[in-house]
Amino acid sequence: MIEWSEQHIMLRDALRDFIEKEIKPNLEQLEHGDTPPYDVLRKMMRTFGIDQMAKQRFERQIKRDKAAAEAKASGKAEPAEERFEEAGSTDGAALQLIPIIELCRYCPGMVTAMGVSVGLTAGAIMGKGTLRQKERWAAPLMTMEKIGSWAITEPGSGSDAFGSMMSTAKRKGDGYVLNGSKTFITNGPYADTIVFICKLDEGNDPRERKIVSFILDKGMPGLTQSKPLRKMGMHSSPTGQLFLEDVFVEKERLIGESEEAAGGRSGAKATFGTERTGVAAMALGIVEQCLEKSIDYARTRVQFGRPIGEFQLIQLKLAKMEVARMNIQNIVFRQIEMSAKKKPMTFAEASACKLYTAQAAMEVALEAVQLFGGNGYMAEYQVEQLCRDAKVLQIYAGTDEIQTSQIARSLLAGS
Amino acid sequence: MKILVPIKRVPDPQTNISVKGDGTGIVTDNVKFVINPFCEIALEEALRIKEQQGGAEVVLVSIGQKVAQEQLRTGLAMGADRAILVLSDDELDAATTAALLAKLVDQEKPELVLAGKQAIDDDANQTGQILASMLDWPQATFASKVEFSGDKKDVTVTREVDGGLETVAFTLPGVITTDLRLNEPRYASLPGIMKARKKELKEIPLAELGVDAKPRVKTHKVSPPPKRAAGRKVETVQELVNLLHTEAKLI
Repeated sequence: MIEWSEQHIMLRDALRDFIEKEIKPNLEQLEHGDTPPYDVLRKMMRTFGIDQMAKQRFERQIKRDKAAAEAKASGKAEPAEERFEEAGSTDGAALQLIPIIELCRYCPGMVTAMGVSVGLTAGAIMGKGTLRQKERWAAPLMTMEKIGSWAITEPGSGSDAFGSMMSTAKRKGDGYVLNGSKTFITNGPYADTIVFICKLDEGNDPRERKIVSFILDKGMPGLTQSKPLRKMGMHSSPTGQLFLEDVFVEKERLIGESEEAAGGRSGAKATFGTERTGVAAMALGIVEQCLEKSIDYARTRVQFGRPIGEFQLIQLKLAKMEVARMNIQNIVFRQIEMSAKKKPMTFAEASACKLYTAQAAMEVALEAVQLFGGNGYMAEYQVEQLCRDAKVLQIYAGTDEIQTSQIARSLLAGS
Repeated sequence: MKILVPIKRVPDPQTNISVKGDGTGIVTDNVKFVINPFCEIALEEALRIKEQQGGAEVVLVSIGQKVAQEQLRTGLAMGADRAILVLSDDELDAATTAALLAKLVDQEKPELVLAGKQAIDDDANQTGQILASMLDWPQATFASKVEFSGDKKDVTVTREVDGGLETVAFTLPGVITTDLRLNEPRYASLPGIMKARKKELKEIPLAELGVDAKPRVKTHKVSPPPKRAAGRKVETVQELVNLLHTEAKLI
């Protein structure tokens, strides 16, 4: 893939019209007011039939799961995967990434809120959950009828997610009692469905404990969801804390309904991979917007009697931004191609893409603020918002430092 | 029911248009083109009729260069069933356009032609009317509401006229042209976009329709509207009134 197709551009243009009408006029409320992003996201999904497609995708997956289970029970070979688009078509992946790119031009926070709900939370249940759990909890998350949170980070555990994890599950009767607190949880204040990751306390050494995940519902006794936390950027994505005090759950809420298959470290790691690939598309949206706005400003802003675009220092900034845009776009195209060919990205490659695109987005957004000068520092010109928003790309879904060490470790291990 | 919806490729009304130095037209490089907004409203209405009646065929037509495929594809993605592109590199006047559409009506035999009241590029507001007269069909222009009788044979159209609304009715077949407030067009949906590629888009060279396409209208010159001069602040009401009288000569 070397460029967007006519279909891709059609979707992009339609999304741009929608964003122009539905999001731009409400940006102030979404960014600085108390308006959560969910209604407008639902409207977008409905308008473009994304909810219907998610539903169909879910139904196909369930059908496949059932067929596979039956085949296994009767000792037959697993049925081959049915194809619903032309083999090798890039459309599936591209059409999923385009809304991310377009939303990020105005509201990267909304993508974070949507991604955590539809991608991470539903993804965790779809990945390791039982058929019953998928039908009960994942389906409404995929259409955003319900909002989801994926809760791993704790006040004392960030990059060292599993090592320092304090949250626990203890067996009690047919179920478990959960305790612990989680922080920086996207959608935490509003989530209807929460995937809670903790350690199974069997009285053993915390370092040897199994990792298990549970599905919680809003309003369960002992579960408290905080108000949104104040933060640097991504204001349109509500972030909060969760407190669990002796929350009793039946076994049906244990993901996979087994302590062994319950996602554990590998389940959470698979989710990290998904999280990382989304960042490149987000970075592309931010960079495209910063660059377009900067070009426009460089053409029209006049100082010393001429447009500032005629000054070489401004030209240097624009050229650097364009190089970053090209690189990020190429990474996004590569992700789309790999997805079309069903080639998974290695963990190290996903880390490399995430590291580069997050850093590039931050650099471009900072340069855009500089190019706009005093106006860039003012909210009216939007680049300061994108600049604040971009920073978190280097922190969440694994910090730059963690990505770096994972890339290096993979190189040294010779894999 | 079969509904024919003619659509025109026009510059996006949101973009800034500049006039060519020699006054022969507008600069089209780097200009985004879209479906004429009134045509889009006509298409939306056709799709709604199809949904309400639980079945109808919506056929799109565009006349112009090959690039008009983009607009036809968008229309197919919105939900039209198939599309016809009459290929022509020349600018056509309203009478020629109407004659070409009349030929297509002969071939396709739709019960209804739903068109935009005018295109936002030349603002001619003639094609629908000329087409109706060529076909000798009834017409209802500037529609703000379209309702069908139970047997789907008659249609009642509310029209926006100066100073109010007028209601007219006719028995199909007929021509309806749409006004701005008839509906709000939908977006092309993701499944719609994916399906659109497989829908039929037939190209017909203009010559094949056997219509005399010699232009009867010639554009002599295109010029931009006069630039707005900067305003001026006055100190008192008296001064304003004086200036309106002596300088602007408005009072």
